Amino acid sequence: MTYLFQILNGLGLGMLYFLLAVGLSIIFGLLQFVNFAHGAFYLLGAYLTYEGVERGLSFWVAMPLAALVVAGVAGLTERLLLRRVYKLPHTFHILVTVGLALVVQETVIIVWGPIGGNVAPPEALGGVMILGDFVYPEYRLFVIGFTAILAAGLWWLLDRTRLGAIVRAGSESPANMALLGYDTHAINTAVFALGAGLAGLAGALAAPIRGVEPFMGVEALGIAFVVVVIGGMGSYAGALAAGLLVGIAQSLMATLWPEGARLVIYLGMAGIIMAMPRGLFGRA
Amino acid sequence: MIPLLDRPLVQFGLAVAVVLILPVTMRSGTLASEILIFGLAVAACNLLLGYTGLLSFGQGIFFGLGSYVAGLGLVRAGLPAPVVLLLALGGGALVAAAVGWVSIRRQGVYFVMLTLAFSQMFYFLAYTFSGLTGGDNGLLDIPRPRLGGTVLSGPWTYYAFVAVLFLALFAALQRVALSTFGRTLLAIRDNEARAGAIGYPVRAFKVAAFAISGAVTAFAGALHAMLIGVAPLSNIDYHTSETLLIMTIIGGTANLFASLLGAGAYLLAADALSAIWPRWLLLLGLLLIVITLFLQRGLWGLIERAVALVTRAPPPDDPAPDRPVAAAAREGDR
Repeated sequence: MTYLFQILNGLGLGMLYFLLAVGLSIIFGLLQFVNFAHGAFYLLGAYLTYEGVERGLSFWVAMPLAALVVAGVAGLTERLLLRRVYKLPHTFHILVTVGLALVVQETVIIVWGPIGGNVAPPEALGGVMILGDFVYPEYRLFVIGFTAILAAGLWWLLDRTRLGAIVRAGSESPANMALLGYDTHAINTAVFALGAGLAGLAGALAAPIRGVEPFMGVEALGIAFVVVVIGGMGSYAGALAAGLLVGIAQSLMATLWPEGARLVIYLGMAGIIMAMPRGLFGRA
Repeated sequence: MIPLLDRPLVQFGLAVAVVLILPVTMRSGTLASEILIFGLAVAACNLLLGYTGLLSFGQGIFFGLGSYVAGLGLVRAGLPAPVVLLLALGGGALVAAAVGWVSIRRQGVYFVMLTLAFSQMFYFLAYTFSGLTGGDNGLLDIPRPRLGGTVLSGPWTYYAFVAVLFLALFAALQRVALSTFGRTLLAIRDNEARAGAIGYPVRAFKVAAFAISGAVTAFAGALHAMLIGVAPLSNIDYHTSETLLIMTIIGGTANLFASLLGAGAYLLAADALSAIWPRWLLLLGLLLIVITLFLQRGLWGLIERAVALVTRAPPPDDPAPDRPVAAAAREGDR
C-alpha cells in the first residue's frame, strides 16, 4: 500500500516534470534556444499563485492567471530581449537567460522575502479520498487528472492542429516558413510564451504541494534538463515517459532511501546516457 | 604577426604585474588570494570554453573535489600539503576525464545539459555521503600548509604561496595553449567535422582538454579550502560551476590573462556590492544581459579596443568567438 501511495505521488510529480520539460523542449525545438530561465518561469508561476491566494483570490482563478501572466512576461521578454540574441552562439543564449533567471530570482526575494511560504489547496480539494484502507489527498489526484487532460490537449494542439503544423514546420525550416508568408517573429514569440507558460503552470500547480521558496527555480531547471536528456530533446513522448519515470523513481526512493533520492535520479540519468546517448525517444 | 597583447610573454608579464599589484593596492590578503585561486580555475574553464568550444557546467565538480581532497588529505590522513595538492591534480584529472568522456557523447546544447546534470549528480553524491564530505557542514579545520617548519597562517604569507603556484600553473596552461595540442583544440573548436576528417582523434583531444582543465580546477579548489579552512558543500554545487563560467565570459574567452581579469572583476564587484546590497545578484543578472548584448568579447575585448584606439591600430575584428562550433553543433543535433 505504501508503494501505491508513492507511485501515485510519483505520477503527480512526474506530470509536473513533464509540463516543465515539454515547455523547454518546444522552445528549443522551434528556436534552437536553450532557456536557462525556464526554472525562473516555474518559480514565478508558483509565487504569483501564492500571491493570488494570499490576496483572497480563489485558487481556480489564481492558478490559470499565474500561468497567463508568466506567459505574458515571457512573450514580452522574447520580443524585447531574446530576439536580439538568437543569431549569437549558444554561449550567449545561456549567458543571457542565466542573467534573466538571476533577475527573476532576486526580484522574487525582494518582493516576497527569502523565506517562502505555503499555499493551501483549494477548499473543494482540501480533503482526502478514502478507498477502503487507502487514503490519498484529493488535490494530488486532481493534479494527476488535470495534467493528463492538459497533456492530451497539448498533444492535440501540436500534432493535430494547423498551429501545431506551423510550429513543427518552423522548427524544420524557419526560412521556408518566412518565404511562405508566415510571420515567423510572431510564431517565435507565441511559442516562447507557450513554453514558458507551461513552466509557470507547473509552478502554480506545484505550489500547494511543495510550498514556495526562492530557490525552487534552480532545482526545477536541473530536473527539467534531466527529463529532457533522458527522454530525448524535441520528443513529446520522451518528455512524458521520462517525466513520469523520474517522478515515480524519486517518490519510491523517498521511502526506500530518502537521503539518496536525488542521487539515484542523476545516477540513473548517467546510466541511460551511457547506454542510449540520444535518450529514450531521441531522434537519430 | 601576433598582436602585442596576445604574445605569451606579454600575457605572463601582465599576470606577474597583477600578482605584484594586488598586495600593494588591497587590504585583504584573503580576497587577493581568492582572486588568484579563482583566476586559476577560470583559466582552466577557459581552456574548455575558449580553446575547445566546450561550455561545461561541471567545473564546480572539480573545484569541490579539490576542496574535499584537501580536507580529507590534510585532516583525516595527515598528509603533507604538497602531496595533497598533487593528489588534487591527479584526482581532478581522473574525474574530469570520466565526466568529459561521457558528456562529449553529445554535442552542443545536449552537452551543456549533460555537464549540468553531472554537476547536480556530484553535488548530491557529496550531500548524500556526508560521512566522507561532512554533508551540509563541509569538512572543517583544514590547516594552512607549512613551509620549512613555519605554518603559512598570515593572509599575505599564504598569498605569496598561492602566487608562486598560480604563476607556475598559469605558465603551464600557456604552454598547453601554445603547443600543437592547444592549436589542435582551436581547430576542433572552429570546425570539429574538418578536424575529424583530417584525422585528429577529436574525442581523445576533448577528453584530454577536460582532464587538464579538471586537474587545474581541482588544484585551485584545494588551495581555496586551505585558504578558508573549510571544504564547504557549496564549493561543489551548481552555483560554483555557474560562477566560474560567468567569470570566464566576463573576462573574455580564448585568452588566459582575460580569465584572471574576469575572476578579479567579479570578486571585487561581489565584495563591494554585497556589502552595500544583499540582493546584488540582481545587478549581476542585468550585467550578464548587457554583456550579451554589447560586450561579447568581455572585459578583454574592451581593453583590446582601448589599446587599438591609443595606438591608432585598426581595432581587432570582432568575430563571434565560437560561432562555427554553435553552427556545427546545431547541425549535429538536428
